[in-house]
Amino acid sequence: MRKTLALIGRELVAYFSSPLAYVILTAFLFVNGYVFWLVLSYLNSPSAPPMAAFKLLFGGTIFFWLMLLFVLPVITMRLLAEERRSGTLEVLLTSPVSEGQVVIAKFLAALVFYLFLWLPTVIYVAILARHSAIDPGPVLAGYLGIAMLGLLFLAIGIFTSALVRNQIVAAVFAFALLLVVFSLGLVENLTTTPWLKGALGYMNLWDHMDDFAKGLVDTRHLVYQGSLGVLFLFLATKALEASRGR
Amino acid sequence: MIEVEGLTKRFVDRDAVSNVSFFVPEGEVLGFLGPNGAGKTTTMRMITGYLPATAGRVRVAGLDLAADPLGVRARIGYLPENIALYPEMRVEEYLRFRAAIEGVARADVRARLEEVSERCMLGDVRRQLIGTLSKGYRQRVGLAGALIHKPPVLILDEPTVGLDPRQIVKIRELIAELGRDHTVILSTHILPEVEQVCRRVLIIDGGTLVADGTPEQLRAGVSGATELDVEFEAPEAEARAALEALPGAAAVRSEGDGRYRVRAEGRADLRRAVFALAVERRWVMLGLRQTVPTLEDVFLRLTTRDAAGEAEAALEEAANA
Repeated sequence: MRKTLALIGRELVAYFSSPLAYVILTAFLFVNGYVFWLVLSYLNSPSAPPMAAFKLLFGGTIFFWLMLLFVLPVITMRLLAEERRSGTLEVLLTSPVSEGQVVIAKFLAALVFYLFLWLPTVIYVAILARHSAIDPGPVLAGYLGIAMLGLLFLAIGIFTSALVRNQIVAAVFAFALLLVVFSLGLVENLTTTPWLKGALGYMNLWDHMDDFAKGLVDTRHLVYQGSLGVLFLFLATKALEASRGR
Repeated sequence: MIEVEGLTKRFVDRDAVSNVSFFVPEGEVLGFLGPNGAGKTTTMRMITGYLPATAGRVRVAGLDLAADPLGVRARIGYLPENIALYPEMRVEEYLRFRAAIEGVARADVRARLEEVSERCMLGDVRRQLIGTLSKGYRQRVGLAGALIHKPPVLILDEPTVGLDPRQIVKIRELIAELGRDHTVILSTHILPEVEQVCRRVLIIDGGTLVADGTPEQLRAGVSGATELDVEFEAPEAEARAALEALPGAAAVRSEGDGRYRVRAEGRADLRRAVFALAVERRWVMLGLRQTVPTLEDVFLRLTTRDAAGEAEAALEEAANA
């Protein structure tokens, strides 16, 4: 436990001492602010249908998805690839910590950083709460959905970072994998075979996020995203074991 | 303390290390010698568990590496060949991190930190970012990290590479001191280093062990003859004849200006006879120096013979074809 905490701590130091972290934070804040403004202007127009702002903010627009698909590989690309490139992995893997511990610690650190990115959006909740009544259920469920997406996407990113020694390659590979996982659900609309449509619908992340933002916490969504995330963390551990000494 | 048995590492097309066995008793400083690419780093990486072995067994402090990898890793302090540190961390922060992952008890961290900082002379850079340190300091930080959990076994892969001469001397002194309470394997291709620091030497070449013994034993094993450099003020022909007439002298070569090189038969010591000769003939002796085969000679003989043989064989083959 203490070893894992030390690994997480080191990773957070690395995040917040790199300029990349602040670039990501700024970009994230900028895009979120822009979307918030768009959503509010849209909802303020008299012809707009009555609708909760957070349903649009959390996964309701393409901006949300574009940002996750682009930004999350950048958060994870460094984690193992850079340790391998610089050689610090040799120190890590000859100290009494297991590969699983290393992967979990890196994953948790990335998750903390990811959630930190979302922290400023709490201000939007406060702003909206001043001017209208807010139903806390859907907002909390929306944040849960965001955390679940983070879990899945970051696990995929760590897996690709475990495979290569070049950060950029890790990021591009992660982006490609995320695109596949994300678009599986969208392909639902392109097929007419009933069983395939059903199966793909079960994997539709956009629908999952819509449900969460509506305040609907569906265990099926939790199980799908959670188990897929755990699978990728397991694969990352195996990749790390197989790459010893490479 | 360290038992290595039949250790082999096969990369796709060749054996980087084949069937290496040796034993290091507690408290010994073992020098691991070999030309670049001989398999030193590969062997050390297998002992630390970083690289899985193709075949063979490693036991450290009574624990089997295959059965208890984490236990073995906890007992080894390892300084890799290319010291890799986290540049964005401060020295003390890094050592605390190392202490935590190496499993140092929380209550002991401060004391261990003080001790390794003092031993590795890090006092004045403890608050500095690692990225801003010179190579010599980084080497010492790496070594401090390897020592932080008081490991009984130290494995140091070329610890003096890339340092300036003064730093090399300091690091060697430190290693010699560490040898008093640790079992150490030290790889290097710098021979004086081995003679200064190590009680026993292994020489590896082309992935196999070619020698194992104390520096003295290795020197004795090589059939190099003792040689004597003499400088006289004497008529050349007369001096030469007199030297050749000495019992035990195999060959004499005049090198001009009254200097002669006398090769002895085997390991005969001719210094007394030469001195007596000079006194008897009333020649002024300006210099007398005996050279015995160095570890360098041993090393060159052991590690180049094969290459020369192979080249010869290749030439023969080419001639026959």
